[in-house]
Amino acid sequence: MKAAEFEYFRPTTLDEACGLLADTGDDADRCLLAGGQTLVPMMAMRLARPTHLIDINRITELQGIRDLGGSVEIGAGTRQRAVEKDPITRRKLPLLAAALPHVGHHQTRNRGTVGGSIVLGDASAEIPLVALILNATLIIHRRDGRRETMADGFFEGPMMTALEPGDILTTIRFPVWDGTTGSAFHEVAPRKGDYALVSAGAQVALDANGTCIRAAIGVGGCAPTPLRLQAVEDALVGQRLTDALITQAIAPVPDLIDPESSVHASAAYRRRAAPQLVQRALLDALSEARP
Amino acid sequence: MPDDRPAASNYRYISQPRRTKEDKRFITGRGAFVQDVQLAHTKHIALVASPYPRANILSIDTSAALAMDGVLDVITGAELTEHTDRLYHGVDLPNVRWHPLAVDMTRYAGEWVAAVIADSRYIAEDAAELVAVEYEPLDAAIGIERVMEPDAPLVHPDHGSNILLKKKFVWGAVDDDFAAAEHTISYRARWGRSSAVPIETFGVITRWSEKDEVLEVWASIQMPQYQEQIADALRIPLNAVRVHNYIDVGGSYGVKRGIKQTVLSGYAARKLGCPVRLIEDRIDNMSGGDAHGPDRLFDVTLAYNGDGLIRSMKMRVVDDVGAYPGRSIQQLGKPISALCGPYRMSSIEYDVTSVTSNKTSQVAVRGFGQAPTNFALETGVEKIARRLGLDRTEIRRRNFIRHDEFPWKIPSGTAYDSGDYHTVLDKAMRFAGWDALIAQRDAARAEGRLVGLGIATCLEPGGGNNIFEHLLNEKIQITTFVESALLKIDGQGQVTVAISTHTAGQGHQTLAATVAGEELERDPDGIRVVHLDSLEALPTRGPVASRMAIMLGSAVSKAARRLRNRMIHIAAHDLAVADTEVEYADGEFTVRGDPARKRSWLEIVFIAHRQLHRMPPDTEPGLQTIEVHAVPGGGKLPNEKGEVQIYPCFSFQAHIPLVEIDRVTGQVEILDYAVAHDCGTVINPKIVRGMMMGGIGHGIGAALYEKFDYTEDGQLLSGTFLDYLLPSAHEIPDIRDTEHCTPSPLTSHGQKGSGEGGYLGAPAALASAVNDALEPLDISLTELPMRLADIEAALHTHANPVPETAP
Ligand SMILES: Cc1cc2nc3c(=O)[nH]c(=O)nc-3n(C[C@H](O)[C@H](O)[C@H](O)COP(=O)(O)OP(=O)(O)OC[C@H]3O[C@@H](n4cnc5c(N)ncnc54)[C@H](O)[C@@H]3O)c2cc1C
Repeated sequence: MKAAEFEYFRPTTLDEACGLLADTGDDADRCLLAGGQTLVPMMAMRLARPTHLIDINRITELQGIRDLGGSVEIGAGTRQRAVEKDPITRRKLPLLAAALPHVGHHQTRNRGTVGGSIVLGDASAEIPLVALILNATLIIHRRDGRRETMADGFFEGPMMTALEPGDILTTIRFPVWDGTTGSAFHEVAPRKGDYALVSAGAQVALDANGTCIRAAIGVGGCAPTPLRLQAVEDALVGQRLTDALITQAIAPVPDLIDPESSVHASAAYRRRAAPQLVQRALLDALSEARP
Repeated sequence: MPDDRPAASNYRYISQPRRTKEDKRFITGRGAFVQDVQLAHTKHIALVASPYPRANILSIDTSAALAMDGVLDVITGAELTEHTDRLYHGVDLPNVRWHPLAVDMTRYAGEWVAAVIADSRYIAEDAAELVAVEYEPLDAAIGIERVMEPDAPLVHPDHGSNILLKKKFVWGAVDDDFAAAEHTISYRARWGRSSAVPIETFGVITRWSEKDEVLEVWASIQMPQYQEQIADALRIPLNAVRVHNYIDVGGSYGVKRGIKQTVLSGYAARKLGCPVRLIEDRIDNMSGGDAHGPDRLFDVTLAYNGDGLIRSMKMRVVDDVGAYPGRSIQQLGKPISALCGPYRMSSIEYDVTSVTSNKTSQVAVRGFGQAPTNFALETGVEKIARRLGLDRTEIRRRNFIRHDEFPWKIPSGTAYDSGDYHTVLDKAMRFAGWDALIAQRDAARAEGRLVGLGIATCLEPGGGNNIFEHLLNEKIQITTFVESALLKIDGQGQVTVAISTHTAGQGHQTLAATVAGEELERDPDGIRVVHLDSLEALPTRGPVASRMAIMLGSAVSKAARRLRNRMIHIAAHDLAVADTEVEYADGEFTVRGDPARKRSWLEIVFIAHRQLHRMPPDTEPGLQTIEVHAVPGGGKLPNEKGEVQIYPCFSFQAHIPLVEIDRVTGQVEILDYAVAHDCGTVINPKIVRGMMMGGIGHGIGAALYEKFDYTEDGQLLSGTFLDYLLPSAHEIPDIRDTEHCTPSPLTSHGQKGSGEGGYLGAPAALASAVNDALEPLDISLTELPMRLADIEAALHTHANPVPETAP
């Protein structure tokens, strides 16, 4: 378990990093190093063998969490643990706050970054799922420009995203919901801190009469990518949410998902667990929204 | 921690909650592990592993690897067979040939096919990628029952069958007892392929000293007969192998066998004339090293009466030892020492089959086969209780051997030394708050929650007289398993104890110093304990089989008493009185009834070392002695009925966990865990508690998480910690423990073994708790591990029974 040979770079500005990453012309395999919680073990097992490793940990532009009122921007290089502990997260992004403690262990969150997790786009990972549920805006830089893309559409397949070679994810902008909202995140993992076998997140907003005016629901571990459950959302919006309605709304979930089997959970297991976890998330979100 | 310990003992150091000698260096990061051994010009091994579970090796091309800068050599199995002898198996298998590297055929995915030796591990791994092996993949023999079928692929074609051993033992009148019993119950129990996972993988450095013509070995090892097997395989005399026993070992729990790795490294070191180091990484370790434990299928029938009394047992067990059995087949033998656990059965039939398969080889794991057996036995006790509607604790009470019946001889001929099972169970229940836990369970059940209270007991044989080996292999005629201590008091009066083995975290330094301190009335903190290397060492079989408190403890005690008596003798001579007139206390030798006439510790030390003119004429100068201790009750081979005293001492534990199962996810949460243990006199309470906590953690893994999963065609699915799930600090609850003391009559201070009991009891106890939680649904699971998906599947099947199909 020793990495194959690579060259190491440690830029301190985004421009420098973009330049290093864009520098082509040979058949070098350039790769960014963020928290290293996935990449370093992959390299040790030689499942990843970049020839040029560009460490982005010293780039201050990628750090930090900013409250913009109607949205919160998180630098891609911000540690998961820092986001988890920030009061802004708890106040403005309760769904992310609920999901973060499920991401690995506090030791891995001390290193792992929000951007690294989103770029990996693991179908069982919590942060990509929350980004998708809230349809965050992803801000991407490359040597010749900057673009924004929505999380909806970003996750394209198993560990595949819309990121192009040469791209650096720099910022994730999460929309903040106002009004009477509630959110909750549930998952089942073999042990605490493991990647979820199945996860479910829900955020709902209610009007003064208690009618659901907005709902965002998604599941992890149930498809090649994190998955938003539009059909369930549609069944809830405009309704007064009752236990019976929720039970009815989650009924189609097994047909909306496309899970695979793995060592610790069969596709059938995931199909059975997913609606139940969605239900738990919805009920908790609802009880949080209701005073 | 709340606790109802026995009244404070009369000992000064023994049983006192003193700091251990070892903790300081580990906690402050000053342990010296094999990786810390830095020898000049050391070369590094990386391994080429087979991707196929079963394949013919057509060719191995090493030229590209050899051409790399920094690569010294690439060794293959063919080369090794020429220069080294095959490795040893625990039973006689002339046609099952085992070498450190595969020869002609690979027998499991991950088997090492070639070894690259280079200036660094990085270069060695680069070169390993360039070794081109041409394989012809073959169908693999996978599945404990499948491998026994006549058309199954043969793992060792020359052996002619995948069955390595088949034996049936009958002790007592099994047929009569079955005929006389009112009921029988038959069930199947399955123990999954799990293991012990030390935090440090195996590692070894060897150096051939041309000057001394000695192979020097530093290794992370826990293996009886290690040096003997190295010498045999490398064709050098035993006194040409020097294993440095001072090296700290980062955990073992049985698995640190290291023989093939050491032979490989030793061969290379001698060939290349430089130190060669092989430190397994976790992938080497989990797929190709010494990592897999028992993998067993039990079919058990119990004969019992309506009052719950179990009269007889027929236990059939198949164990999948993987590709090369080594000593692991013998893990079917050790359980014979306590097959019926703490219960009074009058006869037993034990039918064992050991099969080979295209899985990674099995090695010894904590308890040497006893944990699966105890799980199988306890499963039956629970089943009878359920069937009779009898309380699960009551059925145990009815079957327990009574305190006044010891020594109690079980059908296979072993006498248990002592025990008080009723009292320990009562104590456990009181301490756990059994009635309150039942109330808590019932209240939860009333809310529709799946909460279960578990109970299991276990016997822990300790002392390690491996006479059982003879039962499985008549050629082995071993009737003792000795352990030694060398004790000396130097010219300044300081005490040093020399022991002859490695320590893999069991705290032998604390043990030896505490016992020596007790006998000599010297503070154990000032007593030094050193590890002799294998050339200096006295006879030893090492720290296995829960034996060191029993064996090393007794050896140190005897040696220390002998020196104490010698010092009294010297003092008596100097004071011109009879030995019986001298009293020793607190470092002073005083004439009885005349306190003014005395000699100090230092005066006697000085006389012994320097003043021959004051020495008794019959006494050798200096203060040193050696004690070689044989296992109590050993010395006999089995009689014609196969009856024999195997282990000497038997500890006992009762475990009571409370669990809750999530109905949706199948996840088990341990809400509470209480345990009562009786390992006789406790030498150091912190070590005993540590062993028990660790053992229970280990058992939680075996019960709920850990398994080496394979695909049907023989690929290991859980070869990293991503899928081989160890319980972490989150999964291991606070464990509440209490103790009881039934001293052993066979040891120096009444001590027994304590290294295994936690692991022997926890899997059975958790299975009991899970099944209690599922009892309202009439679900009963008998396969370990009970992972969340297994439990969820059972819940699902229960809720959605398969409709009966019309014929
Ligand atoms: C024991 C353990 C348990 C874990 N459990 C979980 C879990 O339960 N849930 C979970 O979601 N994750 C889990 N993880 C993964 C962890 O969350 C990682 O932090 C995360 O997957 C990757 O983030 P990182 O910052 O470490 O990225 P790295 O490992 O440094 O990089 C990952 C990949 O992303 C690329 N990359 C990183 N940042 C950028 C960027 N800004 N722009 C473009 N590309 C970038 C890298 O080039 C690399 O290819 C676990 C990890 C460990 C070690």
